[in-house]
Amino acid sequence: MGHEKGLEKVASSVRAARAKVPPVRALVAQTTFPYRAPTTPLTVEPKPAEQKLLGHYDSGWARKLPARYARFFLTEGVVRPVIAGLAQPERRGLDRLADLDGPVIFAANHHSHLDAGLLITSLPEPHRHQVFAAAAADYFFDTRVKATASALVLNAIPIERTKVGRRSADEAAGLIDDGWSMIIFPEGGRSPDGWGQPFRGGAAYLAIRCGVPVVPIHLAGTGRILPKGKNRPKPQRTVVTFGSPIRADEGERSQAFSDRIESAVAALADEATTDWYSARRRAAAGETPALAGPQSGAWRRTWALTANRKRPSTAKRWPEL
Amino acid sequence: MKALRFSRKPGRYVAAGVAGRLAAGKGASVGPLKLVDVDDLKLPADDWVRLRPRLAGICGSDLATIDGHSSRYFEPIVSFPFTPGHEVVGDLEDGSRAVLIPILSCVTRGIDPMCGACSAGRTNRCGRIAFGHLEPGLQTGFCADTGGGWSGELVAHPSQLLPVPEDLSDEAAVMVEPLACAVHAARKVAASGPHQRIAVIGSGTLGLLTIAALRSEDPFGTIIATGKYPHQQGLAKALGADQVVSPRTLPRVVRSLTGAFVLDGGQLTDGVEVVVDCVGSEASLTQALQVVAPGGQIVVVGMPGHTALDLTSLWHRESTISGCYAYTRSDFERALELAQEHDLGRLVSATYPLSRSTEAIEHAANAGARGAVKIAFDLRKPAKAKR
Amino acid sequence: MPRPGFVLDVDKSTPPILFHHGEGFRLEKLPADRTRVIYPGEPLDALDDVDAEIQRALLDPLDMDPLPTLLTPGMKLTIAFDDVSLPLPPMKRPDIRQRVIEAVLDMAATAGVDDVHLIAALALHRRMTEDELRHAVGDRVYDAFAPQGALYNHDAEDPDNLAFLGETKHGEEVEINKRAAESDLLIYVNINIVSMDGGHKSTATGLASYRSIKHHHNVHTMEHSKSFMDRHNSELHHSNWRMGKVIADAGVKVFQIETTINNDTFGDALPMSVLAKREWEWSGKDRVAFVGMQQGLKRLPASTKRKIFQGHRAPYGVTSVSAGAIEPVHEKTLQHCFDQHLVEVEGQTDILTMGLPYICPYNVNSIMNPILVMCLGLGYFFNMYRGKPLVREGGVLIMTHPTPWEFHPVHHPSYIDFFEQVLADTTDPKEIEQKWEKQFAEDEWYRHLYRTSYAYHGVHPFYMWYWGSHALKHLGRVIIVGGDKRAVHRLGFKAASTLNDAFEMAEDVVGRHPTITHLKNPPIVMADVK
Repeated sequence: MGHEKGLEKVASSVRAARAKVPPVRALVAQTTFPYRAPTTPLTVEPKPAEQKLLGHYDSGWARKLPARYARFFLTEGVVRPVIAGLAQPERRGLDRLADLDGPVIFAANHHSHLDAGLLITSLPEPHRHQVFAAAAADYFFDTRVKATASALVLNAIPIERTKVGRRSADEAAGLIDDGWSMIIFPEGGRSPDGWGQPFRGGAAYLAIRCGVPVVPIHLAGTGRILPKGKNRPKPQRTVVTFGSPIRADEGERSQAFSDRIESAVAALADEATTDWYSARRRAAAGETPALAGPQSGAWRRTWALTANRKRPSTAKRWPEL
Repeated sequence: MKALRFSRKPGRYVAAGVAGRLAAGKGASVGPLKLVDVDDLKLPADDWVRLRPRLAGICGSDLATIDGHSSRYFEPIVSFPFTPGHEVVGDLEDGSRAVLIPILSCVTRGIDPMCGACSAGRTNRCGRIAFGHLEPGLQTGFCADTGGGWSGELVAHPSQLLPVPEDLSDEAAVMVEPLACAVHAARKVAASGPHQRIAVIGSGTLGLLTIAALRSEDPFGTIIATGKYPHQQGLAKALGADQVVSPRTLPRVVRSLTGAFVLDGGQLTDGVEVVVDCVGSEASLTQALQVVAPGGQIVVVGMPGHTALDLTSLWHRESTISGCYAYTRSDFERALELAQEHDLGRLVSATYPLSRSTEAIEHAANAGARGAVKIAFDLRKPAKAKR
Repeated sequence: MPRPGFVLDVDKSTPPILFHHGEGFRLEKLPADRTRVIYPGEPLDALDDVDAEIQRALLDPLDMDPLPTLLTPGMKLTIAFDDVSLPLPPMKRPDIRQRVIEAVLDMAATAGVDDVHLIAALALHRRMTEDELRHAVGDRVYDAFAPQGALYNHDAEDPDNLAFLGETKHGEEVEINKRAAESDLLIYVNINIVSMDGGHKSTATGLASYRSIKHHHNVHTMEHSKSFMDRHNSELHHSNWRMGKVIADAGVKVFQIETTINNDTFGDALPMSVLAKREWEWSGKDRVAFVGMQQGLKRLPASTKRKIFQGHRAPYGVTSVSAGAIEPVHEKTLQHCFDQHLVEVEGQTDILTMGLPYICPYNVNSIMNPILVMCLGLGYFFNMYRGKPLVREGGVLIMTHPTPWEFHPVHHPSYIDFFEQVLADTTDPKEIEQKWEKQFAEDEWYRHLYRTSYAYHGVHPFYMWYWGSHALKHLGRVIIVGGDKRAVHRLGFKAASTLNDAFEMAEDVVGRHPTITHLKNPPIVMADVK
């Protein structure tokens, strides 16, 4: 009994103490402007909210020194170990970039969110820390948090997915002119089914406009780690294949150049799954398999895609001791 | 008989000096001034009479002594133990009231023939000041033989007494002594006049009374007075100052009035013809030298003591500094009239019994800050207090 | 598209309104349903290419030949420019004066003009320091002319360098800078921040002597200038226009260049940018910046605050450059000024409130003393009207400013004496004018300081007081919220510790439930009262 009385006492004193402390709501209600947001006078037309997200996001701060230092540590200290753990990348063809000087455009196929991180960590110096990513404005810049994170980690600038907006094109071109290299996934989005999508003209247009070479890159395997629509990654081996830089010919139209970039990436894909020489021969014969895969029904596309995949062994392996 | 007595106690005097330096008026509590019971005084000569003080003022020179920073100059011309108090109105044995003229001149000391100054009536310049049948003492209130105002009784020579008219209040009468000083200064200034502009530094008792006296003795000049506290400024205006400014701004105002230029150190190139310094500090004298016109005069009414001054401008601008001490009987008579005229009883801000001497002295030492002018001891019997 | 100024009717949803308060700010909740707030317009679009516009104005002036044809080798050319009192606060480099003067000098160099003088037309203001001159005209101009003694401050007390040109039909004496008067061409470069500036006033006041200025800088003129911001109803300007005629008749050829700037006083950078925003549009960031600024200012000593505020340079955009004959140029300029500043207001009010900022024309890089507080409030802000005063006759003016009893000893020596002596005597402008002006105006020491140091002329504090004489006559009471009590009393006003107390005090004069109008200046707004 005495014990219960003690509890009762404690409970009542707690109640009393709570009665003395005004609830948080009351505290908030007591605050006044400028400690809380102002209300608008009834007679005044409110000012339309200023558009600061999506294509209008100003990512300039991400190229200031403090952000660059932060990004260096994020890239080397977080992204690289994560990629190493998930993707165990094998990087091929880096020797083809040895003669590069000045800014370039890195154009790669796109399967997964991992692609950007994998690509950035695979880039050779000096490009690795002097690079920005062209990222879909509607996906990466739709909220302030995502926009800030994209700008900080990937040094991303917003690019309209559907059309090359004047503002984003000008911004990208300006940065390239300032000596920054660009990462772009010309497919305009992650692959929905594992096959590639047609390349859009943005990379080619910017390469022609700024007079810089394009490095075709093929990423193999990331689609199996974290494909579109999944959010739990499955570790897999990946292969990153860098191709030789290509330049637009004199007077070449950007669509034609874009097609050349696409076939260069396709050739790299071929090279990654077979060997270099036979890939070259097929390329010369115009028989390189298209990135986009067979133009057929959905199941056949998937069927063809999985044809040369090894079935994962269900048998338990011996534990590694 | 109760009396506040100041004895020769060097240790206490030093302590008073230290305390007085910490806070004005604090010398009273630790110094050699004590309320004691004393025997009735002997009359120094047959013609002397007894005066029972009614009100006795506290003067700046008293405060300097109590706070232990009066000049060593005074040592040979005072005699211990003495009872301070030289601003006195009191009752004579016949019941009539009189104001004390505290100066102890040849005639009070029984010196015959009198010195030249005394025979000319300028008793304030007496040439025999520490000699004769009295112990040394420049005035009643500093002499062991005469007693002083801060007690129940003192002795005085008839020449030291001035009857008080029936309709003059005790408060006004106790102001007659300091007012006589002011009249003396005003007459001195007027003698070299007329003047266009006169500056009066300080609006304590002496400053205010000097303004009043100057206004009546030298009626045409513009009087610029400095007053630190609002009540002082108000009184200074009421007593006849044309312009009252804060002490800090005096040079600026004088400059503006005279259209003078200013040298880098603050010295004006022109200024007022007469500066009456009723403070007597180093700062006030320095300011007086800054604002006095070339060839002008500085009259020092406040007691200065040991002071360091740069007198280059005195030499360069041919100005003069002259002292102005006390009064003559004729000054007193004039002061009596003026006290009546100006209702000077209002300047007595507070009175204390002897038993509260420490408080009284602290109040007097901080009179300006506490909104007061003159503080006095009230020695009237309680029944008679109202008159 | 910048939004124009407007009149807000305060309702219960209206947030507290920002009041300037010297080197600080107050947020004041104003009574709903009987209070109006007059908001300034947003900065008008600035000229894209200022230099091209300057070229255009110089090559195609109004009612005058193109500037290059007026410039001949061997001629005497004088360029006068506005002093440090314009604009407020000072402009970010490059100052528009520099751009205009450089363009003019380029043409003069091409024409082979050797004898060129540049004069800061400061009338009875303090002389400009080297830094201030460099800021106004640019280093290139300064270094080319100052070492030769060809770039200097006007001296209104130099008997050898003043020329008497005659009297107007009203008997006003016209005496201006001798070099300017004797030049073959006088080019005056203005910054017209408010509609009071410019026109004939530029030369007739800016380059004149005390003898000449006193004919319009006096109580009578100011009481009849309603307002002095409205040139067509301003006796101040009528007098200057009469003098302008005398100057023209004496053969002085003036090529007037006037420039206007927009309301972009506080720029885009926080925390200052919040001052130009309407309270209900303050974002979270704005509010954090504002609270931070308030807390910071609370902890800083006055001198540091002053240094910070006086260091602010405004990023004004230039909205117009006009050149040519004085009168057509000035009409065009007025239009640009009014486009930016005028807001239509319906009817007068019982109580006018205003928040006084840290700066007025006479305390650039200096201290805003109580006399300047009076002049800014009762002179400049009160006169920010066209038609009728914003407040009814006998109404109450409430201003917020700390009004410290503090003076800049070098810049404002005569102000100190004015405050200590003159205002202690009387605050009536007419009495002050009669009894005291002459003594101060002719004081040799002030004259010496004006000419050789950096002091305003001895008579200048009187002008400050006269500037407010129209308001003093019109108003029933003036209350300063947050002001130093002693200083405010010396000014003849009442001090209140809060705005609500001030409203209570005002009710004694204007009755219960008075209407209130708040003039939300700066950025600059001028009421067009119907």
